Amino acid sequence: MSSQRGGAVRRGVTYDERAAAGLLAALAVVLMAVTAFPILYSLWISFYGLNLRRPNRMPFVGLDNYTHVLSDPQFWGSVGRTAEFSVMAVVAVLVLATLVAVLLDQDFPGRRILSACLLIPWAIPSVANGLMWKWIYDSNYGALNGLLMQLGFISQATIWLGDSAKTLPLIANAFVWKEVPLAAILLLVTLKSIPADLYSAARVDGATALKRFLHVTLPAMRPGFLLVALYEAMMAVRHFDLFFLLTEGGPGGASDVVAWRIYVETFRNLSFGTGAAMSYILAIATLLMSYALIRSLAQKL
Amino acid sequence: MNTAPLIVRPLLWPRILRFCLLAAASVLLLAYLLAPVFWLVSSSVQTEREIVSIPPHWIPDQPTLQNFKAIFLTGLGYASPSANGADPTSGGFIPSVAGNLLPSMANSFIVALCVVVLNLLVGVPAAYAIAKLRFRGRNLALYVILATRVIPDIALVVPFFLVVRKLGMLDSLASLIVTYLAITVPFSVFVLVSFFEQMPDDLDRAARVDGCSRPQVLLHVFLPLARPALVAVGLFAFLASWNEFLLALMFTQTAASQTLPIIVAGITSDFTVSFSFLNAAGVLAVLPPVLLAVIFERYIVSGLTAGAVKG
Repeated sequence: MSSQRGGAVRRGVTYDERAAAGLLAALAVVLMAVTAFPILYSLWISFYGLNLRRPNRMPFVGLDNYTHVLSDPQFWGSVGRTAEFSVMAVVAVLVLATLVAVLLDQDFPGRRILSACLLIPWAIPSVANGLMWKWIYDSNYGALNGLLMQLGFISQATIWLGDSAKTLPLIANAFVWKEVPLAAILLLVTLKSIPADLYSAARVDGATALKRFLHVTLPAMRPGFLLVALYEAMMAVRHFDLFFLLTEGGPGGASDVVAWRIYVETFRNLSFGTGAAMSYILAIATLLMSYALIRSLAQKL
Repeated sequence: MNTAPLIVRPLLWPRILRFCLLAAASVLLLAYLLAPVFWLVSSSVQTEREIVSIPPHWIPDQPTLQNFKAIFLTGLGYASPSANGADPTSGGFIPSVAGNLLPSMANSFIVALCVVVLNLLVGVPAAYAIAKLRFRGRNLALYVILATRVIPDIALVVPFFLVVRKLGMLDSLASLIVTYLAITVPFSVFVLVSFFEQMPDDLDRAARVDGCSRPQVLLHVFLPLARPALVAVGLFAFLASWNEFLLALMFTQTAASQTLPIIVAGITSDFTVSFSFLNAAGVLAVLPPVLLAVIFERYIVSGLTAGAVKG
């Protein structure tokens, strides 16, 4: 950006540039070592038939790993389940977080306590979150069965996670519980940034509270919705921990998502080449999603 | 969305209605946020017999700290796990994993603290440079950091594992500390950049006119003012490391290097462990991050919003 004016004439290195080089050196080293290098190394591995069952043979296979993965119906099945899980999770997070943000935007005693409690699910480690929900969903002594039976909604205990139709929604529920706080905090920022004039103008026009919400609040929150939706979609698509803890991909592959598939391919089948190819496909998909995020943010800023 | 008009005093009825609505919504939200955690805590202090009652005892009849006692006594070497073949349903049974919980907590603390220190050492100078210095390649640096923020951790697992294995660093805390930088540093830099950018340029200029070098400006002018941002970034790095599961699952193999999430995950699939013990382990994993989050709520909320607005 600095050499635009000079054209061919190059400016010498300024003091600030030398200082910046020094200040940024550590970051550059760290990012090279723990992000740039692994990503390139992973690309290289994905062109080889590396299987740790026979670690000494590592034939170059070109794009075979990719064609193998992309022609595998099991992989596409997991892509479908990942999409299903992500759509469910993102929609639920958006709806719940909007309600929470609207509530926290009001001025009332106890609001500070609420916003402190809001951080509890956010702070809980995903492993503890998985343990907690696995125990809640437990088919014998779980809280969900106990509660529904006490309230008279069901007459006998249900095997929740063992029902392949219920598995993804139940895991999504545990995911959503932990993600709503962050989404609500981000949406609250957007809510606070809506100019008060818009509301007073709407009130002068005689709009009711519901109409003001529908025609002023919701449209003004679009950038916030977009940010949260894309961020949460990125989180949901790559999510692994709950699948590992709650179902291990089961029952009968009902929760076999892409992240789980990568884990199985790499660390159970020890097929690092196809595992790397799969994670590369996931990384590119995420990168495309985040490109959309950057673009939409760039328009906003 | 403060709806109270300034001129016309609202009627009594709408105000009562509004109060009732807010109260109901607050109670609902609190129940949603706290009920699962309440059940976790309640289950952790129930006896082996009480935990399997149908319907569940939401509030234990005879709360007991036996699980926590077992964890602390075995962890500190004052008690040993019950023998193989002992009846797990009898009172006072201590599962064999009980002794691993405290050491793994110590591992988690060491890893998290090292990651916090490294994040600050690497992130602060870089963020100051990006926020306040004019140099060629500044936008490029921003985009690179932004791109590294969106790499899914699972895509790093395969290359990390192979490198860590080749270096003979499997099953060491060092491998966790280094790889956790990948998932914490980019976010830390973004939070710090957006914070430094809010500080007036005049501060910077005045200190430069007084003859400070760039590092001196950072050290003597910006660092003292940046304490809230440093606290927020430190907390994020700590929580991310404390909670991290996937990489620890791949790189650690023995209790010597396993962090708390790995031990807790092992317990959830261990059928010899009672449900109440399982929940006690969960409470241990949850307590430190939740306390930090509630105590430092303000710092965290401002940091989260700063990190999000920038990227």
